[in-house]
Amino acid sequence: MNALVRTCWFAVFTLSEYLRSGRIVVEVLATAAAYYLFFRRWTMPMTPEYFFSTAGLLMLGLTVYTGSTILALGDRAVGYVTLARRLGRGPYLLGLYLAVLAVSWSVYGAICLLIALTNPIGGLGFVGWVLGTIPLLLNLALLAAFLTLLTPIVLPAPWRLAVLALVALAFSGNLIGGATLSSLPAPVAVALDVTRTILSTPMLPAFTGYAISVSRDYNGASAAVPLAQLFLVIGLLALAVYSFAKREIVFSA
Amino acid sequence: MDSIELNDVHKSYDGVPALRGVSLRVPQGAVYGVLGPYGAGKTTLIHLIAGFLRPDRGSIRVLGSEQIQQVDGRVGYVPERARYHTRYTVREYLFYLGRFSGLSGARLRRRVAAEIDAFGLTGVADHLLGALPRGMVQRVGLAQALLSEPEVVLIDEPTAGLDPEGQRDIVDLLVAVRRRGCTILMATHFLDEADLLCDRIGILHGGRIAAEAETHSLHRPSSSVVITVTDLPPATETALIALSPAVQCNRREITLAPNTPELQAQVLRLLLDHGIAIVTLAPRRHPIEEFYLEAVRGETGRNGSSEAPPPGPSGMGDTLLRELLQQEDQRTHEDQERKSL
Repeated sequence: MNALVRTCWFAVFTLSEYLRSGRIVVEVLATAAAYYLFFRRWTMPMTPEYFFSTAGLLMLGLTVYTGSTILALGDRAVGYVTLARRLGRGPYLLGLYLAVLAVSWSVYGAICLLIALTNPIGGLGFVGWVLGTIPLLLNLALLAAFLTLLTPIVLPAPWRLAVLALVALAFSGNLIGGATLSSLPAPVAVALDVTRTILSTPMLPAFTGYAISVSRDYNGASAAVPLAQLFLVIGLLALAVYSFAKREIVFSA
Repeated sequence: MDSIELNDVHKSYDGVPALRGVSLRVPQGAVYGVLGPYGAGKTTLIHLIAGFLRPDRGSIRVLGSEQIQQVDGRVGYVPERARYHTRYTVREYLFYLGRFSGLSGARLRRRVAAEIDAFGLTGVADHLLGALPRGMVQRVGLAQALLSEPEVVLIDEPTAGLDPEGQRDIVDLLVAVRRRGCTILMATHFLDEADLLCDRIGILHGGRIAAEAETHSLHRPSSSVVITVTDLPPATETALIALSPAVQCNRREITLAPNTPELQAQVLRLLLDHGIAIVTLAPRRHPIEEFYLEAVRGETGRNGSSEAPPPGPSGMGDTLLRELLQQEDQRTHEDQERKSL
């Protein structure tokens, strides 16, 4: 319980510093720009599918910025004073993570509010909005957890490169597929295909989450997708906390 | 019981050794100074004790535990070069750090108010840290370290980068911190600071504690002193040199090397008899400086066996010198009487 309270206080502390640093201006401008470019009243009415697919992608991009900026705040020599206390390494990392989520989710909330006030989406009630929003927010949480894992204070550079290489390999279907794949020697093609399948499996919740957010269709196995997203978030965070606890702390700046 | 105990601690960075077998013990309530030049490994040593780094070899025990996480909150830490979050006011910052230390409610408010008062931060409590002069920021650093009333405080170069006045202020505050009775391990390269604050010092050189000594043991008469005078006429110089081969004169400086209380008394008497005004009487080197240099040169054993010069206060006036001479005469007289009996 105490660790949870300290985690929350550290998230508030980080958020407060982020706001005071003025970096939040980027999110504010991005929100305004996104609204102006994609969501204000046009001649054609906005559909729920358009909203969730566009907002889902925009928010992923913005979360990359927010995540890298806030997580960088945790990788400074000022962190020694914080970590020398009873706070603990887990709450330190989770506090940074929660701060990323708070900003990212707030920006999404602001966009939704602007749309609700100025350009309501036809055929999208509150329940429909919640059904589309849950997997979207979980995807943002998933991305933030992945960014947390890739922070220099969590994984050393070779490990980060290795993780990114695995992700690239999982996504390599667009580059090495079809004719290219069939031109490879059979054992190599099979090995690549199997590896890609194995590596892309953990990413399934993210992709299906995006699809469900757009379709809001929770029939059959789809209902388990948000749960899978949640477990993946917890898994990534647990890995990040474990790695951070085992590492020596040498802050970058 | 030792609050801090290091046994044969090794640490290297990418194969480059920083510490090569450091062993030291800091008893409960003692102040231990780790002296060494920049790059000697002092910060590495403190970061190891604070649990930020892990030793390649050897063991570290803080308050009886090898797991620093188990004693978090009982250890305060003051970093080198005033590395603090600058976008908070002093009060806000202390409140947040207090919460991270597990303080809350009335106790947190009381502790923050007490430390703000203790470190003279009342006037700047609502100023942003980023707008404070360096000396004030270092006061905040001390206040935050002591907020949770730790049993052990690790202080890394507390006066580095401060002007002489700021250094003096921080040393005065550290003297007050010392009175609180917590165990302090302090890294510094300022010898005067170590002399004033530490019970025991260790010279970190070549990745090892090259020598250790109790600071009081370094303050004993011996070695050499330098007497500076306003003027040294040739007749006086000749008379001084005739006293002993240990007396060397160089313009307005008279060096007694090696010095003895008797020789010192003779020289001072002669100077006073010749009407020579004495400007200063001081050890040729600061006792700790001498100890430090000998340790670095490998001339000193681990027990601090170096002989240090007497603690002659600078700017000693004639009246005090006469008193010292009279005391010396009295002592000599008593010795002669004892021998005759």
